[in-house]
Amino acid sequence: MDKMLYVAMTGAKQVMQAQGINNHNIANANTTGFRADLHGFGSFPIYGDGYPTRVNAVVEDNGFDAGVGTLATTGRDLDVAVMGSGWIAVQDANGKEAYTRMGNLQLTESGLLQTAGGHPVLGDGGAVSIPPINEIAIGGDGTISVVPQGLGPETVSTVARIKLVDPDRSTLVKGNDGLFRLKSGATAPASTDVRLVAGTLESSNVNLPQALISMIELSRMFDLEVRAMTTAEQTEAVATKLLSVA
Amino acid sequence: MNPALWAAKTGLDAQQTRMTVVSHNLANVNTTGFKRGRAVFEDLLYQNIRQVGSQTSQDTQYPTGMHLGTGVRVVATEKIYQQGSLVESTEPLDLAIEGRGFFQILLPDGTIAYTRAGEFQLDSQGQVVTASGYALQPPINIPPDATSISMGRDGTVSAVLAGASTPTQIGTLQLVDFINPAGLQPKGENLLLESAASGAPQVGTPGLNGLGSLLQGELEASNVNVAQELVDMIETQRAYEMNSKAIATTDQMLQYITNNL
Repeated sequence: MDKMLYVAMTGAKQVMQAQGINNHNIANANTTGFRADLHGFGSFPIYGDGYPTRVNAVVEDNGFDAGVGTLATTGRDLDVAVMGSGWIAVQDANGKEAYTRMGNLQLTESGLLQTAGGHPVLGDGGAVSIPPINEIAIGGDGTISVVPQGLGPETVSTVARIKLVDPDRSTLVKGNDGLFRLKSGATAPASTDVRLVAGTLESSNVNLPQALISMIELSRMFDLEVRAMTTAEQTEAVATKLLSVA
Repeated sequence: MNPALWAAKTGLDAQQTRMTVVSHNLANVNTTGFKRGRAVFEDLLYQNIRQVGSQTSQDTQYPTGMHLGTGVRVVATEKIYQQGSLVESTEPLDLAIEGRGFFQILLPDGTIAYTRAGEFQLDSQGQVVTASGYALQPPINIPPDATSISMGRDGTVSAVLAGASTPTQIGTLQLVDFINPAGLQPKGENLLLESAASGAPQVGTPGLNGLGSLLQGELEASNVNVAQELVDMIETQRAYEMNSKAIATTDQMLQYITNNL
């Protein structure tokens, strides 16, 4: 039987998967610090007997969009945004180091500094822990200074410094929990060039108009694949008719 | 069914929740001591379709994996404890906290709730209660023959009794603070409850140990910023529209295949 049908079917299935990636981006258009997933298509020739005439299209994960989102002022002391490139180091569910740009930080009842997703923020010496405080301020280089509870503003002291890293974009990969890690599994060295802006949150970097265009394009590609399947069916029908006896 | 549909559906849910939070904030723009809420989003787990670095042959491997995101979720609706502006009122029992801290309120079931709304009244026994009639703790009783009441910045309550020329101290107000006020559980009626995330209450004298001072004859206005809420509302609406567009498109794709094959 003609394999045209299968090539078209694979195409349609892969386009639908790409639409899923695009919809995931749209769903996260308002997620703080979210990085859009990129997709692309690759050709996978099918080798076998005869000539390699058939080429399947396979959707590929092209990593993530490293573009910077827009900064919005919130005025909250524990909201931080990474300016330009760079990442905030956090501890993942397995206790390993991972990176994120979601800067809506929170304090737990035990004084642990966490992301909104519950991942402890890492400092130069492990998870950042804050004593009971009156005031807290996060500086441009991640330095956390506090006025301890019960003391006046003259007692400002530095308690920790958030670990900020800036590894090359191509060495990072997004994990299944939405956190980023080095492909090698190693931990990135702290960088002194990364800047934080306190009282600000970075928006998602999903470009909605672009996502809409992408959605239309994928939808039309899908239509074409289905059209190819219909054509394959018609060709089969004609062949059956021509070859039928009497 | 189709993951593309479900990812967009989670987007609709999340934006709907955010809209609820925005509407709630706007509805409470004139509620004394109200703290605005904020919906916090997080991307949902990713599905691994093809493992990154898996072998394509003995010597080669996929340079990138293939994982499919499954959408977004609302991970929290947190309260933003920024000071609201102080509004002058002439009522002697109106109190505002300037700085950190909460009033303690005794609920009818015996538990203690916390609030920053200082619109206090007197009940039939002369006890200081909230607008809902719950007693302020520690209890303050105003003698029936008091001609004027004054509350100091440190919580000292004194009254001038009929016939006397100097004020008499009749009680002391205390405030409590929490390590993580954002972890308090909102209960409604301007009240908040202690939770495992907030930490234990630390009682203290107003103006000392980092607690805010009391201001008599002032009220703390809601910290909702209307302009901010309107921008949030626009952002939410547009994102909602895009998500429903994504559902419609995915639906059309599926429809096209059922109609044409």
